[in-house]
Amino acid sequence: MRLTALILAATPLTAHAQTQPASVPAPDQSAQGDVSVTIYQNGQSLVQDVRQLDLPAGRTRQEFPDVSAQIRSETVTLSGPGLGIVEQNFDYDLLSPDKLMEKAVGSVVTIVRTNPATGAETREQARVLAANGGIVLQIGNRIEVLRDDGLPVRVIFDKVPENLRARPTLSVTLQAAQAGRVPATLTYLTPGLGWTSDYVMLFDEAKGAIDMQGWVTLTNSTGTNYRGADVLLVAGNTNRSFSRLAESTIEQAGTETSPREKLGDYYLYPLGERTTIANAQQKQVSFLDVKNTPARKTYEWTNGWLETQTDPRSAATVLKFSTSKNGGLGDQLPAGTIRVYMRDARGDPQFIGESRVAAAPMGSAMSIRTGDAFDVKGAAVLVERKRMSSTRWRTSMRYDFTNARAEPVTVDLAQNGLWGDVRLVEQSLTGERVSAERMEWKVPVPANGKASVTVVFDTRY
Amino acid sequence: MRRIVFAFSLLLAAAPAAAQALVESDRIDSVSVTLYRDPGRGKGAIPAAGWPGGYALVTETRTISVPAGKSVIRFVGVSEGMMPETAIVTGLPRQVNEKNRDARLLSPAALIDAYLKRRVTIRRTSRATGKATESEAIIQSGPGGGVLLTTADGVEALGCSGLPEKLSYPGVPADLSAKPTLSVTTDSAAAATVTVQISYLAQGFDWSANYVAQVAEDGETLDLFAWLTVANGGSQGFAGARTNAVAGAPNKEQAAVLPKGPPPDLHLRCWPMDITSTHPSWGIERILPRVETADGVMAEDVGGFENIVVTASRQSAPAPPPPPVPVMIAQQEELGDLKLYRIPEPVTVAALSRKQVAMIDRKKVAFARVYTGSFEQFDYARDAAEPESRAAARILRTENREGKGLGLPLPAGRVAVFERAHDESLLVGESDLTDRAIGEEVEFATGESSDLRYKVVARPPSARRQPFTVEVTNARSTPETFEMAIPYKLSSANATLIERKGVKTWRATVPAHGTARLEFALKLERAR
Repeated sequence: MRLTALILAATPLTAHAQTQPASVPAPDQSAQGDVSVTIYQNGQSLVQDVRQLDLPAGRTRQEFPDVSAQIRSETVTLSGPGLGIVEQNFDYDLLSPDKLMEKAVGSVVTIVRTNPATGAETREQARVLAANGGIVLQIGNRIEVLRDDGLPVRVIFDKVPENLRARPTLSVTLQAAQAGRVPATLTYLTPGLGWTSDYVMLFDEAKGAIDMQGWVTLTNSTGTNYRGADVLLVAGNTNRSFSRLAESTIEQAGTETSPREKLGDYYLYPLGERTTIANAQQKQVSFLDVKNTPARKTYEWTNGWLETQTDPRSAATVLKFSTSKNGGLGDQLPAGTIRVYMRDARGDPQFIGESRVAAAPMGSAMSIRTGDAFDVKGAAVLVERKRMSSTRWRTSMRYDFTNARAEPVTVDLAQNGLWGDVRLVEQSLTGERVSAERMEWKVPVPANGKASVTVVFDTRY
Repeated sequence: MRRIVFAFSLLLAAAPAAAQALVESDRIDSVSVTLYRDPGRGKGAIPAAGWPGGYALVTETRTISVPAGKSVIRFVGVSEGMMPETAIVTGLPRQVNEKNRDARLLSPAALIDAYLKRRVTIRRTSRATGKATESEAIIQSGPGGGVLLTTADGVEALGCSGLPEKLSYPGVPADLSAKPTLSVTTDSAAAATVTVQISYLAQGFDWSANYVAQVAEDGETLDLFAWLTVANGGSQGFAGARTNAVAGAPNKEQAAVLPKGPPPDLHLRCWPMDITSTHPSWGIERILPRVETADGVMAEDVGGFENIVVTASRQSAPAPPPPPVPVMIAQQEELGDLKLYRIPEPVTVAALSRKQVAMIDRKKVAFARVYTGSFEQFDYARDAAEPESRAAARILRTENREGKGLGLPLPAGRVAVFERAHDESLLVGESDLTDRAIGEEVEFATGESSDLRYKVVARPPSARRQPFTVEVTNARSTPETFEMAIPYKLSSANATLIERKGVKTWRATVPAHGTARLEFALKLERAR
């Protein structure tokens, strides 16, 4: 092998060169041991890594490569039979050519000049005097600037300084009771790992049924691969708010207990098999697959107090289904995004909209808005606002709906902003005061037709 | 090309030994693309500039050979704007266990990163003799701040000596691929050749309708033609794709942020390199400022796209020739509460391109010409000068009904209205259109008229009333309809006001070369 030939021909300096580890790891090899990762939904993850350490008796400094590059070093704990911790260090002074040169100031390096005409190499010992802007060398009695003439010069350093590392590195000084192989358990918290859930829902309108698959979506931006990891996902405690979730997707929170494992009030989702979470990877693992669950489509049209439209506004298309054991998905849903597909005339699934869902217990009545209907629109008209006395007003509203579809539809009309003191004087269709704030009507709109509802409110002002 | 490579995953101390077959699929048999509009754009056409804000559902059909047992199938060459959380893989013998999307692509920097602390070969060539010397080296640092190698001689920096140097690697790490790749793991009872479908949503697409309304010579009807304009802002084209477009407003949440891979470009950094003769700049400057370039999906990267389109559309003649006779028209079908437009033949949706296919072609659409004025309440001022007259806006109004020559869903877009003059078709106005269902009113703006002008004069008010006078003049030789909405509480008016879109509106026919006048008063609310 050429390497051996080179080593034999090497200058005496190489005797001081840093001794290489006996085996250079293969590209896909990792220093990690038996890894288990617990991923929470608030951006924190707990990593537990059981490594087999060969330790001499007494004090020894041990490096732990292949930990998360974003490791929260204050959360590191190392434990093992007969192990005592002297100190823990997390070094992030990174190795680079300029750092190496800076640290070499005052020490001797080897420079190799190449004759541009003949290619002959000459070697010299040089002391690095300074590395400010350029490199100043002392060669024997001469002082030179490195590569002042622009000719090629190789600079060979003896070794890599000890505290410079290729990657941020965790090192622990241990006190071992006896020499030998010890299983050491390293645990730490790290940001950079996260999970959410993504649901694929195929809606069959004619059958009034949905097929739903749930996928756990893991992302890893820790800078480290976790190979063959035992992954546990913890649902709940999302500190992030669903700001885009204008209205709740849970109509009626469920009261059934799902058979999933629990930790406190968190649900646990262990992955069935060990898996590798590579850096810069987004990974999806299946956790739910339910076929033929009943679902129905409705239209919602919500108006704010005294809001009017000159141009009709589309009604929202709403899908309603249940997470109950009977007639539902039969599971609790971790927070995520539901994407709804429908088959087109040729039978190909097409995307018809998506909605975020908050975590829903089993047995919940769900209602998700998939989008705005092209053909079903409504407009609110403020017909009259009459002053009855110095404190009372009478407000007449008309709600006009149009349906360009070939079948009749029912629009769930809601009027918000009633406060507590708005009284209903008359209505052309009987509605329901669902709360002090909100009133709802179910408005049937004939196929290719129109429908109007008039309501008179009495308000205090 | 498909090939099956058996790669044995490297063993960990604790992980069980498992052999997984690796199947690579980089040929797409057929593809279909369904385009969705920018969810934030309620009306109008795709903006001429910038990264398309819509998205597309891409469905690829691929044929693969699945071996018996566990296997990893890598689908190479998925769209770069892919939202991996939306990927669906169907057609495998058994269920998909997991799906992975790696942001790490094969690049010089990714190789250094993968071979950090691993053995590589460094090859130096003598400029004088051409003789190459190879030696083994171990990469000690990189790719962030320059590359250091340990050779048999000692520690050296790559690319700092001025000698021609290169690294060579024993192989490509299994998890680096040249193109965006989606990989899935599955297992199969027996080896089989299967056809699988991969569907996913991808960003960087858009579509809109572009209407051309040509007013006929009689001035009573117009021909309405629409192009379905498709934009692909990505660097990946789809040849022979079954292409559809969806109108309506599907709800779209913000896409998840993808984990970012290491920067794909490698900058070799050295130590300070000032020499005596080049001070103060470094002699062989190799340090390039590390610009945080975004991955190919960001808007900044598609500047070229923007320029091409802007200049092309601006330099084109303002009046395109009358629309050609369409041979291929996109067919509309229902998709739940949305409308799907299917281009009947496979077409190519090329990278960085816009494409147009006819979607609507209606002749002899009846319309009414209406002039409109606007009114806003203002206070009477004793010494105010007589207000100037304002030009009325000219609108072509029709209803989306079969009786009028329409009666079909009109997706949002931009409308250009042309009228004939001097045997030429000239542009008279452009306006935006929102989604219009059957039965709705449709209006096309055609600019302002200098022939129909109106002015509003305030009269001295009383405690309860503020009177106004509106006068409309018509310089045309035909009687014209004038409309003005009065969105306030009225006290009186000397003409009957109609209710239009929930607002009291004055509609009058202004005789040819004549005037029309309205006196009305607004109710003033007493201060309490």
